Amino acid sequence: MGYLDQEKTDALNKLKKERGVGNLASEKNPFDYHAREYGTMPPDTKRAPFQWVSEVSYKNVHRIVARGYDTTELMEEGYGVIEVLFVDYQARIPTIEEEKMLNYVMIMMMEDGLSGPAAISRIVAKSKTFLTQACGASIMAFGHAYGAYSSFGNRVENYIKHAELENLTLGEAAKLLVQKEGIDEALGVSGLMLKDPAAKRMIARAQKLGVAGVNIEFMNEVVKAAQAISIEPVDIDMLGATGAVMQDLGFTPEATWAILAITRSFGAGAHYIEEVERGELSRMGQQLSPKEDYDGPKDRPVPPLKDREKYAQSAICKTPEEWKKRFEKMKDVMGSGFSIIEEVADPSKKSGMKKVGKL
Amino acid sequence: MDRDPTLRRKTALSYKTEEKTVMRGYSLSDMAEEGYSFYDAMFVLFQSRIPTEKEEKMLKYEMGVFLEHSMSPSAVGAIGVSAGRPNLPVCVAAAVSTFGGVHGPGAAHGYMLNKYLERGLKEGKTVDEMAKTLVDDYMDNGTPVMGMGQPQHIDSDPRAEPIHLKQEELELEGVYLEFQRALEKYFHARRKADGRSYVGVNVVGSGNTALMEIGFSPNAGWCIGSVVRGFSCAAHALYNMKKGRAWGASRNEPMVQMIDLSMIKYVGPEDRIVPKQEERQEYAKKQKEEGEYKQWVI
Repeated sequence: MGYLDQEKTDALNKLKKERGVGNLASEKNPFDYHAREYGTMPPDTKRAPFQWVSEVSYKNVHRIVARGYDTTELMEEGYGVIEVLFVDYQARIPTIEEEKMLNYVMIMMMEDGLSGPAAISRIVAKSKTFLTQACGASIMAFGHAYGAYSSFGNRVENYIKHAELENLTLGEAAKLLVQKEGIDEALGVSGLMLKDPAAKRMIARAQKLGVAGVNIEFMNEVVKAAQAISIEPVDIDMLGATGAVMQDLGFTPEATWAILAITRSFGAGAHYIEEVERGELSRMGQQLSPKEDYDGPKDRPVPPLKDREKYAQSAICKTPEEWKKRFEKMKDVMGSGFSIIEEVADPSKKSGMKKVGKL
Repeated sequence: MDRDPTLRRKTALSYKTEEKTVMRGYSLSDMAEEGYSFYDAMFVLFQSRIPTEKEEKMLKYEMGVFLEHSMSPSAVGAIGVSAGRPNLPVCVAAAVSTFGGVHGPGAAHGYMLNKYLERGLKEGKTVDEMAKTLVDDYMDNGTPVMGMGQPQHIDSDPRAEPIHLKQEELELEGVYLEFQRALEKYFHARRKADGRSYVGVNVVGSGNTALMEIGFSPNAGWCIGSVVRGFSCAAHALYNMKKGRAWGASRNEPMVQMIDLSMIKYVGPEDRIVPKQEERQEYAKKQKEEGEYKQWVI
């Protein structure tokens, strides 16, 4: 379409200016709203046209290629999903031991009973959706507490790097980590696996296969440091074991996060299927919420609309003190969001592909 | 720490205690220690059984070949979502959720085969006869035959026939492969007779046939296909998150970006005056009467 021609643009803008449109004639506006162009920007001929840029893979009519390897040829040569994960995320073929280790981790991650991903998959299933929608939802259950591979892994990477830079032993760096961060949901050490040997068996398997590296070594130190300060018994848990093993296999924290969340999604798919097979569908308005679970304001009459001003409470705060007072008060209103303080960070580690697309 | 389940359900899939996680009766840790593969575990998950070695090999091939497909709706979905820099799992969730009625419709293909196999039994017809019936039914109705055709791989999907061949090499031919092969035969013949161009089998047509043959239900097959694709879509999203430009519209990049303003082509109603509130009622009534708006309703 491109821009509307100047004559028509001027005529339309003149008419609007004469009619006036709210506050758009204000001088406070950063530009003249009655001199704006109509229509879409013409194609940019000074830069290279848009293309999907990828280091990961390409395809043409007759082949699909990941990191240089034809994927059909990979399968014909006897490789499988496990190896393609190394290819996609690390651009390399894994050793047999690495392949065995990732296989082990993925079996362990496939199913976890009725925890978050399975539960959310079942809830979505009850609304009568496609299976894929439920599988997608289950992946979103992986955050920075449940399946906290990004938080865990980046922190481990940072402390190992810190140890190198500051010439600390891994034990010293681990102590520092535990002192500073505490035994939180992203530490990988907790009381969750005290009776279940699976996490320790996984670490032992990594050592037996010869794929254990600095991450496992560091986690062993973190366990010792946590045990030294914890009043409750703690040990390495599944987050700590799987996270450390995956990073020793060369996967970044983010790659680990994605791979393991997706692995669980297969299990979540089975939960979807079972929910549909066994359960009844859920209709809007069907579920009741028992009053005994409610601890909000007591039942109260809705004020007549004409009396609104009498009942209404303005949120406008004229001073920082007023603002602070209200902010603190609102923390008592559960569900308002005032008790949550978080940083919504840009996870990009680099930005821009300046080497791509020059004409 | 509260360790109660988020939901209480009767389930035949798994249980988890403080001591172990058990899927279909097998301890996951014991399975991993014993040297079973991830593919074996998929059979346990969806079919409650240990597969034969050949079945395991077939699944390995099918999942591996389906994992990466460069720029498809799923990868594009993941990349598009990543532009706003949410948490990575959101990009993957979007990618997996792109699998619907057209993109990788594994369940639909499976249900189609099952429906005609069932009908053949009732009508006393052979698999070959039912394949012809299916092709005729679909093509007479102008309905696309599931598992045939791929918009990018116009000479037939490069993964498709090799999957059939692998299934044959592993001697895993059963009723599904017989049906699918016959379907393809009649499909090609019908298109040729109609003077239409060649359309090959796609990866769903061959891959889902293999999955069904080794005992997976349509939905289990769909889960396997769509979720395994999530692995590569996460890699595409991650690449863009780590090395690409957030938002996808920067004018400082030498290449025009995905949602640069110049990428927008608008074909809707022309620019027009916003009616003032006092003009609104009359304006709106006239607009409804004239009905010109109806061509834009979606």
